Amino acid sequence: MARANLLERLHTIQDTYGYIPENEINKLSDQFDLPRSKVYGTIKFYSMFYTEPTGKYMVRVCDSLSCHLNDSEGLVTAVKNYLGIADGETTEDKKFTLEVVECLGHCGEGPVMMVNDQIYTYLNENRAIQILKDCM
Amino acid sequence: MLNFLKKDPILAIEDYDFTAFKQVLNTPAENIISDIKTADLKGRGGAGFPAGVKWELARKEKSAEKYVVCNADEGEPGTFKDRYLLENSPWQVLEGILISAYVIGAEKGYIYIRGEYVKPIKIFNKIIEKAEKKGLLGENILGSEFDFELELIRGAGAYICGDETSLLNSIEGQRPRSRIKPPYPIQSGLYGKPTLVNNVETLAAAVEIINQGVETYTALGTAESNGTKLISLSGEVNEPGVYEIEFGSLTIREIVEQLGKGIRNNGQLKFVVPGGVSTSILPQEKLDIPYSYEDIKAAGSNTGSGAMIVVSEENDLIDLMLNVAEFFMSETCGTCFPCREGIRQVCYLLENAKERGYLTQRDFELITDLSQTTYLAARCGLGQSSLNFVTSVLEHYRDELLQGGGQ
Ligand SMILES: Cc1cc2nc3c(=O)[nH]c(=O)nc-3n(C[C@H](O)[C@H](O)[C@H](O)COP(=O)(O)O)c2cc1C
Ligand code: SF4
Ligand code: FES
Repeated sequence: MARANLLERLHTIQDTYGYIPENEINKLSDQFDLPRSKVYGTIKFYSMFYTEPTGKYMVRVCDSLSCHLNDSEGLVTAVKNYLGIADGETTEDKKFTLEVVECLGHCGEGPVMMVNDQIYTYLNENRAIQILKDCM
Repeated sequence: MLNFLKKDPILAIEDYDFTAFKQVLNTPAENIISDIKTADLKGRGGAGFPAGVKWELARKEKSAEKYVVCNADEGEPGTFKDRYLLENSPWQVLEGILISAYVIGAEKGYIYIRGEYVKPIKIFNKIIEKAEKKGLLGENILGSEFDFELELIRGAGAYICGDETSLLNSIEGQRPRSRIKPPYPIQSGLYGKPTLVNNVETLAAAVEIINQGVETYTALGTAESNGTKLISLSGEVNEPGVYEIEFGSLTIREIVEQLGKGIRNNGQLKFVVPGGVSTSILPQEKLDIPYSYEDIKAAGSNTGSGAMIVVSEENDLIDLMLNVAEFFMSETCGTCFPCREGIRQVCYLLENAKERGYLTQRDFELITDLSQTTYLAARCGLGQSSLNFVTSVLEHYRDELLQGGGQ
């Protein structure tokens, strides 16, 4: 049972800071009596945990097969061009981080995009950019 | 149209009466297990293992502690039916969890919901809270001797966690790699204790079997596929969505045409992925088969999670193969060398082929070899099934791919 709750603790830290800062990793390492490398090893396995600060808005665009068949690639390109960043990058003003991700479970409503906790479905390029503009 | 699983949403506990669970509390557990076995309910998470057999094995395990886990990690591209159930029938899902726990003698359970499912997580947190207040979770549930506690675990973005052994590692706070089987979770699962893992839809269907009666349920379907199944229909159809069908009542082509209302923009149907991107494709000419476990298997594929992805003639096949291979490349846990490197090499070959516009004979040979090696040497289902899509496209569209474009 030693490591139970580690996952939930990571979520809480991620929810609080938007990422998992090094000093929190040190604390976890003490509390769970785990080498820091093991804590890192667990964090790194999950794509929704970050060890560096991300943008205020985390933009996730799905490009898995069902969305791909609904031109998610066009959506990805439009969002990249609009934000001026590539997959995995953060805008200079630290507002947006873009990630091209795997299936978000809304495959019948593609293409889809998540901005923080909000899911947007049946997108086209104009609507996606409008959504990003509304974040500004 | 049947609606055992696809129903109007019920979110207020007052509107849900737990009939099946109440009946279970007054019936010997052996009888319930026997009903689920007779109904031949197959696991709806993808592997299709008979739920009744698993419940029986779990019940027979002698241990002071046992666990049940509801697998709501739904991450296979094309699959969204568990989300449908979590959002619309969360009480029925809870009821299924309660029944499975009661029957095997577990006092603690988990529901593991993928982190991206923000709304289902919110809903289920409320469900647990309300159920605790109403005496449906906790001690002496509904005045019985049955104590049961349920905890929600949020995933954090890793497809591999859907594999039941990785899921257990994830709950334990370990690195969520798969575990070597045996031992199976039934014998040694969470913290080494007997653990029953079931998919969301399996549990909801178990409730339905008890409510409808085994006879009614088994009267539906085909020889080897009883009852109904939720299908997540997506891709290039006019009306994608979650549909419930009686096994055997429609052919795959009819599902595309009658439920999906045909291909968008009057396009031509090319192939269907019958069970999510980990399953082999069925080309257009093989689609006149009834939707059932046995017929899809005989046609060379698998019902998987019931994620049916419809693909038209308007695509570059190499691009689609690359898309699916890249999914597995980014989701492999990296433990087995052939899975990690094999998929990577396939992606590399496909990238070059995509640029070139066609596959060479050499690409064919290499990809086929890499697939076989990965299939044979992979430790878990992810690696074993990772190249089904790619190899089945190769097999069916060989000439087209060699000639170029895949158009
Ligand atoms: C890579 C991988 C991913 C899986 N993802 C899921 C999933 O998201 N949901 C699920 O129920 N089963 C998933 N499974 C199957 C589970 O390992 C397990 O068989 C299932 O949860 C058992 O429940 P069932 O018998 O009710 O289907 C996955 C298996 C593998 C190998
Ligand atoms: S087959 Fe792939 S995903 Fe499965 S354990 Fe091996 S490396 Fe990990
Ligand atoms: S494939 Fe994009 S949400 Fe599932």
